[in-house]
Amino acid sequence: MTETTKERVVFFALGVPMVMCLIAFFWILAILSSGAGTLNLSMLTTSALQGGLFEMIVGTIYLLLGAAGVAGPIGVLAAVYLVEYAPSGKITRIIDQAVNNLAGVPSIVIGLFGFAFFTTQLGLGRSLAAGWLTLSLMMLPIVIRGTEEALKMVPPSFQEASLALGTTKWRAITATTLPSAAPGIVTSVILGIARVAGETAAILFTSCVLITRGLPKSPFEPVMALAYNMFVRIVAIGDPAESVFGIALVLFLIVAVFAIIAIVIRTYYRKRQPWLR
Amino acid sequence: MSKKSIRKTILHIFSRIKEQPIELVLFLCASFSIVILFLLLLFVASEGALAFSNFGLELLIGQVWDTNAGLYGAFPLIFSSVMVSIGALAIAIPLGLGTSIFITEVVPFSIRDVIKSIIELLASIPSVIYGFIGIIFLVPAIASVFGITSGYTALAASLLLAIMAVPTIVGVSGETLSAVPKDYKEASLALGATKLQTLRHVILPIAKSGILASVMLGFGRAVGETVAVLMVAGNRAQVPMPPWNFLDPVYPITSVIAMQMGEASLYSAEYSALFGLGLILFIFTFIVNTTADIVVRRDGKIGGRKK
Amino acid sequence: MAKVETKNLNLWFKDNHVLKDVNLTIKENAVTAVMGPSGCGKSTLIRAMNRMNDVISGCRVTGEVYVDGKNVYEDGTNVYDLRRRVGMVFQRPNPFPKSIFENVAFGPKIHKIANGKKLEEVVEKSLRGAALWDEVKDRLNDTAFSLSGGQQQRLCIARALAVEPEVILMDEPCSALDPASTARIEMLIRELSEKYTVIIVTHNLQQAARVSDFTAFLYVGELIEYGETEKLFEDPKSELTEKYITGKFG
Repeated sequence: MTETTKERVVFFALGVPMVMCLIAFFWILAILSSGAGTLNLSMLTTSALQGGLFEMIVGTIYLLLGAAGVAGPIGVLAAVYLVEYAPSGKITRIIDQAVNNLAGVPSIVIGLFGFAFFTTQLGLGRSLAAGWLTLSLMMLPIVIRGTEEALKMVPPSFQEASLALGTTKWRAITATTLPSAAPGIVTSVILGIARVAGETAAILFTSCVLITRGLPKSPFEPVMALAYNMFVRIVAIGDPAESVFGIALVLFLIVAVFAIIAIVIRTYYRKRQPWLR
Repeated sequence: MSKKSIRKTILHIFSRIKEQPIELVLFLCASFSIVILFLLLLFVASEGALAFSNFGLELLIGQVWDTNAGLYGAFPLIFSSVMVSIGALAIAIPLGLGTSIFITEVVPFSIRDVIKSIIELLASIPSVIYGFIGIIFLVPAIASVFGITSGYTALAASLLLAIMAVPTIVGVSGETLSAVPKDYKEASLALGATKLQTLRHVILPIAKSGILASVMLGFGRAVGETVAVLMVAGNRAQVPMPPWNFLDPVYPITSVIAMQMGEASLYSAEYSALFGLGLILFIFTFIVNTTADIVVRRDGKIGGRKK
Repeated sequence: MAKVETKNLNLWFKDNHVLKDVNLTIKENAVTAVMGPSGCGKSTLIRAMNRMNDVISGCRVTGEVYVDGKNVYEDGTNVYDLRRRVGMVFQRPNPFPKSIFENVAFGPKIHKIANGKKLEEVVEKSLRGAALWDEVKDRLNDTAFSLSGGQQQRLCIARALAVEPEVILMDEPCSALDPASTARIEMLIRELSEKYTVIIVTHNLQQAARVSDFTAFLYVGELIEYGETEKLFEDPKSELTEKYITGKFG
């Protein structure tokens, strides 16, 4: 077999896995959309007490916003330090490794920690606040890494020009680097939200309950969430899977919308920023 | 890293912080991750310490896990986790590596981003939805294909985990492959090598460490996955008979913690045992992630070019 | 005898017309320099001779390029054998991250030219041909990166020689090197022309004058003038050539 033939065979064979991945993706979409019939728009605004999804959807959104509110600022500032200020390679390396390790901690372990620390030790109980803090731990590495990359892609000449005009370093960063990196930063926060939207294990013991009377009135009350609800119904209560099709669809759509927005922002801004690649 | 240089670095940081209070704030944010990891270890370890002092090594090698009887032998659980993860990797590695090589070397630029985005979307799907799909489709399919009564098996868990691990493998190995300097590719082609020969003899050897790291990270992801696995694995705390029988139900560590935490009363023996399991998980994934980091970093020094 | 010849060669990268009707004849066993200001298409021209431009997407070629009388752009041409016969050395030395031995042995292994003992002989012969053998004979298993920049470039030359080429294309081979290494390589180039046909791209006028037998002057994709180096430099036929040589533009 000549080299050229060998090449054709191998490259064709390599294409098979990729096709299988694509098929898996569309198969999943197909299965999910087959349940579209169980969903109707009114369910989105009806209370769970009447079989609707309202509190779950709002609860999920509350959780996401709060987690982003914690992980967003901390993550961005941490990344700014790592990229712009960290003096020696060693410190950056240790922190980077810590970030990678945090990213790799299984979500159930984060949940255990959240329960032991936020819920029990800090006395927050099963609450929205405990959920915010626990989920922020999962979002943090995503925001830090994404922001780091976005900052690194901004040409240092922008900052240099500002410094040459006599500004402080922090001013230079806020005036030039951060605005240029903004699309990348926003993308990473949105991706973090998408990641956390469907998170169940982490909030299993820290913030959710199966049913509440209306929406939580304070962050110290528990909350309903789509992923949690779906999970507990199937696993603990033993409802047939088909009965939660509606929840699955709404959850999937929410996550898909976030993920697609992130990808679109990234692609759109990549074209408009000529210094990228 | 010598004590002297750590001290020097800390003093350096403090002197710069005096200059600009902003830097202190930034530094605190950056150290947040380290602090959290430390707290995590502290709390999980302290809650699990009781279990280890009570049961000692039995926790790890004991063959029976029965909370009602007060028996906490985690061996079948550890076995389940490992078995399911290895099964997942057996599928995910060829799938993932094949895909990432195909994407970086064969697919034309224009389509590349689209396919990468699809893989990214695969990664974003919440695990509870994977579990849901598993129940609706995979479990009945396995039952009918293999002619068994229940499709809630290690196989179902491995298949789901495989799809969930593939994006990790594709992502990291894809980055590594793209990072191979084009100079090497050009040199090889200019000598008359085909694209396949270049791939085999030049590109892959250079990307070896990154690919290895991607597999390790995929493994870590598989071991740490909770919800999807819980929904389809069958949840019976017994080593399958025979041990490689993927058609038996299994009960990975993550599932046990998730299922039984709810019923464990605070600070009971069971509570502590579950935290002990959490500690085992944490240490394991910590080792895997740190090793993957080291593997990637070490290669950066060897493969680098003299500028 | 023309070893390489281009006839009405036109090349586009997407909409960019990079080479315009280039008709160039390269004599065998001589050193031909291709010179011109930055961006005039010099690299593209020689890359058209071993079809390395094929690797870049959006490349369109019309016209012919003959090596030993055969048009290499004809359907059915074995591109891989072409690249073996027409070797290339790049601007920045790019040895593989392997040992010195493995770098030189790479080509012969790929083309199944030699194995075992014969391979060792081929490696030695190539390293001698690149004037590098004496410096590395005791450390063939060391990584290529333990060599200096000039040595690495000679290693790349040895790597190209190992597949028994007939033509050697050099794309500004000394521009990343210090003057001492440059001098050694220029000496090597003159030696190589006894057995091989060498085409060297350079933006360094003095180098072209030092090293080559023939010179081609390229400007914005067009071949302005071609002739024996001495004659071209002392008495250029085209006004443009004269302006370039006397430094009126760069």
